[in-house]
Amino acid sequence: MAAIDLNTLRYTIEGRMKTEFDAMPAYHVAFHNTPYVPTPNSTWLQCLVSFGVNSYLTQGGTTGSDNSVRGVMAINIFTPKGDGPGANYTITKRARDLFNRQVVSGIIFDAVNGPEVVATPIPEGFFQTQMRVTFEAFESL
Amino acid sequence: MAFFRGEEGSVSFEKDGGTNAAITSTRSWSLTVNKELLEVTDHGDTSRAYVGGLISGEGTVEVLYTASSSDETNDFISDIFTTEDGGDATFELFLDTSGTKKLSFAGIITSAEYSATVGELEVITCNFTVNGAITEAI
Repeated sequence: MAAIDLNTLRYTIEGRMKTEFDAMPAYHVAFHNTPYVPTPNSTWLQCLVSFGVNSYLTQGGTTGSDNSVRGVMAINIFTPKGDGPGANYTITKRARDLFNRQVVSGIIFDAVNGPEVVATPIPEGFFQTQMRVTFEAFESL
Repeated sequence: MAFFRGEEGSVSFEKDGGTNAAITSTRSWSLTVNKELLEVTDHGDTSRAYVGGLISGEGTVEVLYTASSSDETNDFISDIFTTEDGGDATFELFLDTSGTKKLSFAGIITSAEYSATVGELEVITCNFTVNGAITEAI
């Protein structure tokens, strides 16, 4: 084993979202640092992966030891304003089922939090909900 | 002046007198060494007096469960089930990563606590008692 590649973790998580929402009914998924201007009254998602506090797992030096690498993914779901929450929650379920207590390529996803309704959507003009899921991967040095 | 952090420590173990090897998933270790007191107060003394007696030790090693059989971890967490234990398991408790700062001894694992809690890593805690002298090279 070797030091973990954070880009591999990000790619695995984002790729899972993209694969799911490329399938019908397909919706655009925006990621960190990817420009996207949504069409008014459209449906789309935003997937934001961030890494957080990591920690020692086992004793040892720079070899033969393990770390815990943790992060959080926020998924924003945007649906047309004024149509109620049903359509939004249908999409939310698809995203939730992708990660809820799943283990994917060594990434352990915790129970999903949300969806919470965002009172002030960003960008404005949509009905927005947000789910968050923390994840953990083990780094063996 | 050098200081050391806990992650620099490690534990090596061998269950029956062979060559010690690392327990790769060690999370912590501790060793308490005790020396008995023998009272040598004389009649007429107004304060108690003592000399040191026999030395003994006991401690704890905490490991993460890995299901690995390729290192000593599996032997270590299973040693509690050794019947007619001759006390020949050998321990090395390292204080740094150089491999020279250590406490070495034979011992007997006297208890093991296996645990699994939702949302947490599975931890096994083994307590041991030192059998014989402790060699300290710290």
